[in-house]
Amino acid sequence: MKPGRLAWWLVIWVVGLFYLIPMLSMTRFAFQRIPVIKLSFNNVFSKWTIEPLLTTFSDSGFRSSAMLSIWLAIATAVLTLLLLVPTMTIAHLRSPRMRRVIEISAVLPFVVPAIALVVGFAGAFRDTIPQLIRSPFGMVPLYVITALPFTHRTLENGLASLDLRTLIDASRSLGASWIRTVLFVIVPNMRASIATASFLALTVVLGEFTIASLLLKNTLPLYLAYAQGQNPQGSFAVGLVLVVLSAGFVTAANRFGKRVVS
Amino acid sequence: MSGNLSFNDVTKKFGTTIALDSFSVHVNEGELVTLLGPSGCGKSTALRVAAGFEAPDIGDVRLGTNSVLGLPANKRGLGIVFQNYSLFPHLTVLENLEFGMRVRRVSKLRRSARVAELLDLVRLVGLAERFPHQLSGGQQQRVALARALAVEPQALLLDEPLSALDATVRLEVREEIRRIQRDSGIATLFVTHDQEEAMAISDQVCVMNSGKVEQVGAPKTIYRFPSTPFVARFVGRVNDLEVEILKPGVARLVGHAQEFTVPATSGIRGVARVLLRPEDVRIASQDDTGTLKGIVKTLHFGGATTAAEISVLGTDHVVRMSDSTRAINCEVGDNIEFVFDTERCLVTAATH
Repeated sequence: MKPGRLAWWLVIWVVGLFYLIPMLSMTRFAFQRIPVIKLSFNNVFSKWTIEPLLTTFSDSGFRSSAMLSIWLAIATAVLTLLLLVPTMTIAHLRSPRMRRVIEISAVLPFVVPAIALVVGFAGAFRDTIPQLIRSPFGMVPLYVITALPFTHRTLENGLASLDLRTLIDASRSLGASWIRTVLFVIVPNMRASIATASFLALTVVLGEFTIASLLLKNTLPLYLAYAQGQNPQGSFAVGLVLVVLSAGFVTAANRFGKRVVS
Repeated sequence: MSGNLSFNDVTKKFGTTIALDSFSVHVNEGELVTLLGPSGCGKSTALRVAAGFEAPDIGDVRLGTNSVLGLPANKRGLGIVFQNYSLFPHLTVLENLEFGMRVRRVSKLRRSARVAELLDLVRLVGLAERFPHQLSGGQQQRVALARALAVEPQALLLDEPLSALDATVRLEVREEIRRIQRDSGIATLFVTHDQEEAMAISDQVCVMNSGKVEQVGAPKTIYRFPSTPFVARFVGRVNDLEVEILKPGVARLVGHAQEFTVPATSGIRGVARVLLRPEDVRIASQDDTGTLKGIVKTLHFGGATTAAEISVLGTDHVVRMSDSTRAINCEVGDNIEFVFDTERCLVTAATH
């Protein structure tokens, strides 16, 4: 094996193990009915159970927080698409300068800590629109902002891969209105990036802790943190399920994208 | 229903750049008019103004007797074929062809009949279920043409539809476009920067430069009787010779004693330029007077015709000659005598 290739495999293995070891440990802790101090190589295959997961699923607290998170994730994905797709399309068509502004704005959430976002948000709206602070759905705009670096990049790639101007002109010249052009020409051709952006928004919301915690909303990540004390095995089991689901979403989006493009 | 398409004194600016400057062109029913010019001369802007993608600053665009300026792009009833492959990638050929008809709520029965008719017209029967990426470039442009015709437009706008195709396919699709245009009798505006394409396909050619119309005429007229130095230089090859006009109708190459006749209409005296097609230079026969002597520098064999570059003896002038291979019976390095057929040459001021 060439030295370059060897280094490549070495890096892959080191990084892979860095992720894999905690995941495997988590799996054993969550799904084996053996006290942590007694977990060893000798009992890798014994006393596996999904009972902790079922116990958590049957908890009404879990169900309500999971439902809230799912609704918040859907709302975030929808708001993200409603805001970004038309704005970015117009920017692509009309103003390269606007594209750059959007691009810079989209990476800002990377450098703005969630706590600053919440403090600013609460300060601005506590007296003006208190419902926004009270309702858990008031967090949706914050989630949209948090997910923006990922969703924007995905949609930007989708738009850049299209000859947008020609497609729109062709559609318009055939008699289609703007709405019809967006719904029947642009959106179908961006299916892959729209799906990926939606899944990314979904995973961001399902994993976001700080915003919900600071605004005292009982979302799934908060429940899991709370449940660690009561039912640690169940909490870890649900955490694992979330990781697998997120990975599944991203893989599904990729597959979907490839099928559409081919 | 086909109609006339006309631009009346259209001016369009982008910031300080004037893309169209008092642009006027008329396309009659059944006619194919080509806008020909170099990149940035405003030809595509003219098409986009007609299509409704750009609004003119001044002037009017009419379809038949009605101005279309008040109508949005989707209400103008024009068929457009674009330079880039513009088929909707997520739709099959069939769905692409049906798109415009669905917008117009044409019945399924009528749509099916029209699609069959169009596929037959562009000779793509059997490819209805294919996606654009499963078609060649030529096939895609033929589908794009069929799609534009599907909505029975009043006029057809073709924006460099052949430029993305390779040479052989381009020729094939060009003939196809002309055949379909003739059969349908639709007023067609064709945009290209390729002069050979323009000459081959058009009823009328409109040569454009810097947003202005330089000359409009039949391809032969444009080539044989260019009205401006720009047209002479842009359309076909030309000998651009520095001459002295001794008196009206008499000139000689700068630095050369031999006089020859030129059209006396220009009124230019002193140093000027003569623009002369290579085929208006020929090897002299015994009867010719006013011959010049030169040495054959290069020969470019082109099958039926041959082109030669001749260095004029005693001067720095190089003259390009093109004639039938049979007529150019010489080798590189030969001394030859040649004459100018100057009846159709253009005399212009030295600064042009």
